[in-house]
Amino acid sequence: MSNNYTKEDSGYTMTTVAEEAARCLLCHDAPCTKACPAGTDPARFIRSVRFRNIKGAAETIRENNALGAICARVCPTEKYCELACSRSGIDVPIDIGGIQRYVTDFEQQAGMKILEKGKSNGLKIAIVGSGPAGLQSATTLLEKGYAVDIYEKNTKPGGYLTYGIPEYRLPQNIVDYEIKRITDLGATLHLNTAIGSDITMDQLKADYDSVILAVGASEAKMLPMFDDQANVETAVDFLARVKDAKGEVTEPDNVVVVGGGDVAMDVSTTLKRLGVKHVTDMVYEEFAEFRASKKELAGTQKAGVTIVDGYVPESMTGNEVTFKHRKIDAEMKIKADKVILAIGQQVNTDGLGITTKRGEVPFIGYQTQDPKVYVTGDIAHGDKTVVWAVRKGKEVAEEIDKTLMGGRQND
Amino acid sequence: MINKDLGIDFLGVHFENPFCLSSSPVDNCYEMCAKAFDEGWGGVVFKTIGPEHFKIDEVSPRFDELTKEGTPFVGFKNMEQIAEHPLQENLDDLTKLKKNYPNKIVIASIMGTNEDDWVELARLVTEAGADMIEMNLSCPQMTSHAMGSDVGTNPALVKKYCAAVKRGSDLPMMAKMTPNITDMVPAAKAAMDGGADGIATINTVKSVANLDLDKKVALPIVNGKSSISGFSGKAVKPIALRFIQQLRVAAGMEQLPISGIGGIETWEDAVEFILLGSTTLQVTTAVMQYGYRIVEDMKNGLMHYMEEQGVDHLSDLVGIANKNILPAEDLDRDYKVYPKIDWDKCIGCGRCFISCFDGAHQAITWDEKTRRPSVDYSKCVGCQLCNLVCPVGAISTGKIEMKPGRQGNVEDIDIESVRLTH
Ligand SMILES: Cc1cc2nc3c(=O)[nH]c(=O)nc-3n(C[C@H](O)[C@H](O)[C@H](O)COP(=O)(O)OP(=O)(O)OC[C@H]3O[C@@H](n4cnc5c(N)ncnc54)[C@H](O)[C@@H]3O)c2cc1C
Ligand SMILES: Cc1cc2nc3c(=O)[nH]c(=O)nc-3n(C[C@H](O)[C@H](O)[C@H](O)COP(=O)(O)O)c2cc1C
Ligand code: SF4
Ligand code: SF4
Ligand code: SF4
Repeated sequence: MSNNYTKEDSGYTMTTVAEEAARCLLCHDAPCTKACPAGTDPARFIRSVRFRNIKGAAETIRENNALGAICARVCPTEKYCELACSRSGIDVPIDIGGIQRYVTDFEQQAGMKILEKGKSNGLKIAIVGSGPAGLQSATTLLEKGYAVDIYEKNTKPGGYLTYGIPEYRLPQNIVDYEIKRITDLGATLHLNTAIGSDITMDQLKADYDSVILAVGASEAKMLPMFDDQANVETAVDFLARVKDAKGEVTEPDNVVVVGGGDVAMDVSTTLKRLGVKHVTDMVYEEFAEFRASKKELAGTQKAGVTIVDGYVPESMTGNEVTFKHRKIDAEMKIKADKVILAIGQQVNTDGLGITTKRGEVPFIGYQTQDPKVYVTGDIAHGDKTVVWAVRKGKEVAEEIDKTLMGGRQND
Repeated sequence: MINKDLGIDFLGVHFENPFCLSSSPVDNCYEMCAKAFDEGWGGVVFKTIGPEHFKIDEVSPRFDELTKEGTPFVGFKNMEQIAEHPLQENLDDLTKLKKNYPNKIVIASIMGTNEDDWVELARLVTEAGADMIEMNLSCPQMTSHAMGSDVGTNPALVKKYCAAVKRGSDLPMMAKMTPNITDMVPAAKAAMDGGADGIATINTVKSVANLDLDKKVALPIVNGKSSISGFSGKAVKPIALRFIQQLRVAAGMEQLPISGIGGIETWEDAVEFILLGSTTLQVTTAVMQYGYRIVEDMKNGLMHYMEEQGVDHLSDLVGIANKNILPAEDLDRDYKVYPKIDWDKCIGCGRCFISCFDGAHQAITWDEKTRRPSVDYSKCVGCQLCNLVCPVGAISTGKIEMKPGRQGNVEDIDIESVRLTH
């Protein structure tokens, strides 16, 4: 069973990637490139593939996106580059994510080292959180000549790359490889170290020239009716547990999932891949207003999950949960061996000296009221995706550099 | 399904359809030719038979391909020489083929090292029962310089060996010409003077297709080294058509019987060869890539074309395009035709803008906001490069204009083509 959980779909071969790249129209002022939040420049790397320069393609991706191999796999491309693709005017968009995966796999197999550390400028930055935003800001800062320490409260780095996104979509060895690239570049990781408790913010501010908070929304939301219920687990706890065990876990036969976003889709599909017989996903939204991406939803449906739309949980007694329809007079009772809650994640700012509203700091940009402290990633304004975390990671590093170095080149 | 008679006469022999396998590994033995006949080919030019005393010793590997983007086999390079099977086995195969397929045409391709060889081989294949002889004067990778394209580029030798074949056989005979020559007319004339009844062309083009960049040697690598050798397939079609066109317009050769070869893989390719003067057609590379079955679509497509054109006899099409191919100095240079851009079809890729700026005359302006191109008539020269690069056919030929000071009526100017006007 775990085999199915750890198995990633196969990617392109040299021949099939060339065929896909040949479909690309090689647009002028390419819409795909303009639509990539992280500036990965798909039009340029696809053109390199088209002209058989895979190494050049890898350079384009890597220099623009420190997590290129991860974005290749988890980007909701349908909302970004592929949504803008001119080829849609003919048939279907170019499979930009697939091409990017081919190129970054090649980069890994060829052992290419593309990123270079900048000449030291003597300045030191602390980054709190080793998720994608923390990792990208570390990379950009290292390239500019800063020394970087990353503090992570968990035992493994990567944030939701490691503890959230399931193995079949994002193999852990890819995450490890991307992180190693960044530690090789010079980032120092301090694991099992929570800022705000193990080390105070004041201490960090005293020791570093700037501090970046990239703490993400690392805690699950709960509903009071499920508090203190046995057999209830949160989505992120569940996903982290399964990923950590590489799918070697035992789950009961009948599981109900509550939630309709991508996280709920990941939970439901993971359950199916683990061999759970009956997986029922109860979704607040109706299909027309679904939040999950089409790709994720399709994957979930293909996996054989029963999806019921428009229902809200009302109460739980014993192992029976009662749901009510949001709009019509309808009620459903389900007896389940287990309930998994995928109703969202929230930020924990304890001891960090910032406040957030609905998962974000209440301002646009990166610098907080304390000029030494910056935010980035999910807690900064903007989309809550990996590729946006990369963008915000690049931007926060640029902003720090402007503040500390006044935009001067360090050479 | 459409059914039209594709029969045609060539050198006094009736072919049920013009499609033949050209002499190569695709028709190396009885079983292969039998399968090809069963799948619908009209004739075969059996793999070239050499004299008993010339020992064939082939290299391995022996092929290479030129690719482009995702497209394999844009062109194909080979290192093969002539038949490896013993002479008697080849002759027996010819006999058996003719016996079991009396209505199909069996052509024997032969190659000698001297006059005596040519006479003898011609005699042997005639006795074996072949319908026709093709002289291979054109293989570019023979290990003997008394054979192949070294002979085909020497008109005196061509004439001498053609005469020799005619002494050994009274069968109709065509001489297969090499394209590794600036002007094919003297060689073809020499062949006809020596007694040839027609010409088959082209054989492969001498080439180096790819190099291994680490080992710094051309492909295929034969134990560390490589040679120049023959190139074929789609990429050589334009070269083949050019030679055929030039042969058919040379003085005194307007009715030259030709068997056309070089990059044929679709019915459209076939029609092009016919319109420029080929009566029969020969194919190898496309068969190596896709198999004998390709003849089905070539035949069916040709039938539909004849139907569309209102033609009942294939022979009515032979050579009729040659009158429209003139020396460059005789073309009308008095007008230009502007492109017309259909903004509803346009998907905003900007390729026309890039090509016009970087490869033409900076005559397209680009609206950054709407992502739509427009033509600046004051700069446009009417080359229609934009038209060719547009991926969706949003650009077609538009307004025609006489150049300043030139006479003529724009209404009469004919530039319509499926490719350019969409
Ligand atoms: C199940 C799931 C699936 C997802 N799938 C996708 C997807 O397919 N595509 C996509 O683009 N996005 C996806 N996302 C969203 C994406 O993972 C997030 O947008 C992204 O991880 C945010 O990056 P981040 O660096 O801001 O935060 P996180 O990834 O949340 O990382 C924050 C890190 O900070 C650490 N931390 C927190 N507080 C402290 C502290 N006080 N001291 C030290 N360390 C601390 C945490 O332990 C964590 O490692 C998914 C999210 C989940 C939960
Ligand atoms: C439109 C066009 C015009 C050309 N004009 C010239 C020319 O003026 N002088 C020249 O030496 N070659 C000319 N060439 C030939 C090219 O320089 C080049 O030798 C040839 O196209 C082969 O290279 P390619 O396969 O990269 O196109 C021309 C080619 C093209 C396509
Ligand atoms: S928008 Fe689409 S077609 Fe145009 S360059 Fe990008 S991937 Fe290629
Ligand atoms: S016809 Fe030639 S010059 Fe005119 S717009 Fe098109 S590419 Fe430019
Ligand atoms: S090449 Fe065609 S589709 Fe692309 S911008 Fe020009 S007219 Fe539009």
